[in-house]
Amino acid sequence: MRPTLRRTWPLHLMLLPALAGLVVFNYVPLGGIVMAFMDYKPWLGFDHSPWIGLDHFRALFEREDSLQVIWNTLIISVFKIVFNLLVPLIFAILLNEVRIRLLTRTIQTMVYLPHFLSWVILGGILVNFLSTDGGFVNRVLGAIGIGPIPFLMHGDWFRFTVIVSDVWKEFGYGTIVFIAALANVDPALYEAAEVDGASRWKQTLHITIPSLLPMAIVVGTLSLGNILNAGFDQIFNLYNSMVMNKGDIIDTFVYRTAILEGNFGFATAVGLFKSVVSMVLIVGAYRLAYQYANYRVF
Amino acid sequence: MKTGMRKWWSAALVLVLAAALISACGGSRDKGGPAEGGGSQSPASSASPNASSNSGSSDGQDENPYRDKYDPPVTITTVWGVDPALQFKNGETIENNVATRWALETLGIKVETLWSVTDTNNAFVTKMRLALASGQQMPDVVTIGDEQLAHDLIDSGLFREVGSLFDAYANEKWKQAMALDPHVWDPYIRDGKRMGIPVLDYAYNHDYLLWIRQDWMDKLNLEAPKTLDDLETIMDAFKHRNPDGLSPDQVTPLSIGFKNTFNTWMGDPSWVFGAFGTIPEQWNLAEDGTLAWGSIHPGAKQALETLKRWRDLGYIPAEAALWDENKTAEPAVAGTAGIIPGPYWMSGWPLQDTEKNVPHAVWKPYPIPAGPDGKAGRHGTRFTNGVTLISKDAKHPEALFTYQNYLFEQLADPEPGSQWDIGVFKGYDYDLDASGNPIYGDDIPGGPVNINRYWLVRDGARIPDAQMKALLALADGKEPETRLEKEVKNNYGPETPAAAKVLMSQPDISYTNLFSGPPTPTMTSKLDYLKKIELQTFSEIIYGQKSLDEFDKFVQTWKSSGGDQMTKEVNDWYNQTK
Repeated sequence: MRPTLRRTWPLHLMLLPALAGLVVFNYVPLGGIVMAFMDYKPWLGFDHSPWIGLDHFRALFEREDSLQVIWNTLIISVFKIVFNLLVPLIFAILLNEVRIRLLTRTIQTMVYLPHFLSWVILGGILVNFLSTDGGFVNRVLGAIGIGPIPFLMHGDWFRFTVIVSDVWKEFGYGTIVFIAALANVDPALYEAAEVDGASRWKQTLHITIPSLLPMAIVVGTLSLGNILNAGFDQIFNLYNSMVMNKGDIIDTFVYRTAILEGNFGFATAVGLFKSVVSMVLIVGAYRLAYQYANYRVF
Repeated sequence: MKTGMRKWWSAALVLVLAAALISACGGSRDKGGPAEGGGSQSPASSASPNASSNSGSSDGQDENPYRDKYDPPVTITTVWGVDPALQFKNGETIENNVATRWALETLGIKVETLWSVTDTNNAFVTKMRLALASGQQMPDVVTIGDEQLAHDLIDSGLFREVGSLFDAYANEKWKQAMALDPHVWDPYIRDGKRMGIPVLDYAYNHDYLLWIRQDWMDKLNLEAPKTLDDLETIMDAFKHRNPDGLSPDQVTPLSIGFKNTFNTWMGDPSWVFGAFGTIPEQWNLAEDGTLAWGSIHPGAKQALETLKRWRDLGYIPAEAALWDENKTAEPAVAGTAGIIPGPYWMSGWPLQDTEKNVPHAVWKPYPIPAGPDGKAGRHGTRFTNGVTLISKDAKHPEALFTYQNYLFEQLADPEPGSQWDIGVFKGYDYDLDASGNPIYGDDIPGGPVNINRYWLVRDGARIPDAQMKALLALADGKEPETRLEKEVKNNYGPETPAAAKVLMSQPDISYTNLFSGPPTPTMTSKLDYLKKIELQTFSEIIYGQKSLDEFDKFVQTWKSSGGDQMTKEVNDWYNQTK
């Protein structure tokens, strides 16, 4: 131990700047959490702002619509998490079966592209595209006899639209991870399976899917941290007076009540609440993954 | 030996890196420093003129400190949020430019900048909040546009009462301009003390009227709409007998939207409520002299019934609930809309673009039609655009009045032939050609700059009704003579004078939001929720997802969920401003 340290201490010393940066930028600001328990006024600062205990949390849960808002957030984000995991997984497997490389590459790039569009732009496009008043989608549906669907103006359809459009935007990005994992599967396994007479379907079922499973668990575990993030940019650009009861989420609610009015304490309290819930979920999911899939980070 | 050397090298490297990091940290702290450094310096620099003014006042200790020109010069410190579109020429900056030199030479006022920031994404508000939070020195004079920040700054106790200064030092022109609307001080009154000077702006900018396609009206032989019924006749004719041959589902007879609010500035439906005696989403004066929330007035129910009928008949956009202000302008510009409510200046933007799509389109302004009882109403605009605050520590608060008095006298509405009649700074906002005639805009060598953003108070000095008066003069066929008249003629659309006249033909129907104080406790906790259920209920009634009777239920919920409490608080505030 000692001789090693004597030899490597410069290396340890080199860690210091990074460590200092981590502490300064990631740990020191954690002190700001106290704002959640204060009626924080910037000119009074931390020393003189009055302590109000759990009042901000009480306000969050006592508002008539707060349960509804949390519920909306959960529904939208759970569906997003599930489909943003499944769709890329299935798509990666399908794409893997396409043997023409040029085609694979082209498709991959095409589905990847929407990821780079911002929701400000997409929001404007979707409003026109999904309009009940001559929008492209409703005209196509009308041609096959399906009446105009109020994609953005009815609560349930709004949730559907939000989830589908998010999956459409992001699945190409998610696919990349799985394609990379597929590239690492030992070809010998397939060769052996072929020798054993396994069909294409059997190979997928018994080789491809099991080898993708660890990656799927990692992606799933990480995305659980977003369970209370239903996508501010997207909802903010799409929601409207008709879908407030089904489409308003925690982040848009915080934006209106806290950020617009400079209510730092309340915004911090909601942020803290979200972080605690996310941490519990991530730790829980990690334990499960550790136990059942033998997945470990540490 | 060699390994030893290498070890020392790496150790030295680590030390250098660590030192670099530390100095980088220190550097960033230094960056915050100039503000503070400047702060600690400025008392010193403002102390010297103070000392000299003390020596000046040795003639008489309690002599009026106000001067038309200070000699030796005095210093006013300030901070700037610089509009990213603002241009500078001749290597000038906001700290040092033609206007700061003018102030020093003409008035003996040195405008000293503590800090400035390019105001993108609310950078100024953020920086000001941070300055407040970190206890930096506050500028002597600062103009704030953001309402919430203004309230926070006033409540911080770092800024002084200004009402008495205004009464003592402001000149007649400024006082008259301020007196045009007795409510301009309201938001900044604390315990009866006036804590900030409202920044006056041109009035009626967002009071709207109806823009109607005159070419369609002419072809259909339609008269100007006096009532909502007349308007329905017009909308029906636009839709079903369209002069441009558009099929009914292509026409948007009345382009309005209510994505975020029923009370806005373009494509606004609030006049439909006005026809029934209320303006939604603001505090109106009730018959008993108290303030009441406009959306729970019984008239709102009738307005919703009207809007629902119009939607069912296809007079308003099928997706009006998804349309914000700019979206309502789209069909108007595309030539498929017949009517759009909007401000008097709309013939410049966006309606001027209509002729690119439909060359024969003609938009004309019309008054707001009345409801069945002869009532008409629209929301009004306050005469102010922000507030100027003076620091408690300002050594020469009266110097601000020297500065502003000069601008109100010379800049706000100069007489023909006066000093700034043709322009303010030669080579900046105007220039003279070879034969001595004034030239403007891109004709100026090196291009024009918007010097109105260089003044200590944003836009210098504006008299609320001056622009409207100039427009009315032009509407009556007067040749433009004063600078303002020339300005509005050159800068606004062709129909603007006529629209101003239409607007001013109904001076009594503009209802301003009469609550302008800091948010009350119930507002902070409930207003967003109340607005949310209001917006949703109104939209769902218009779209037939809820029956009209849901309105009464909404009113009950509104009152019991904090609305009554909020009304009480608002009236408490209202009473203390009287």
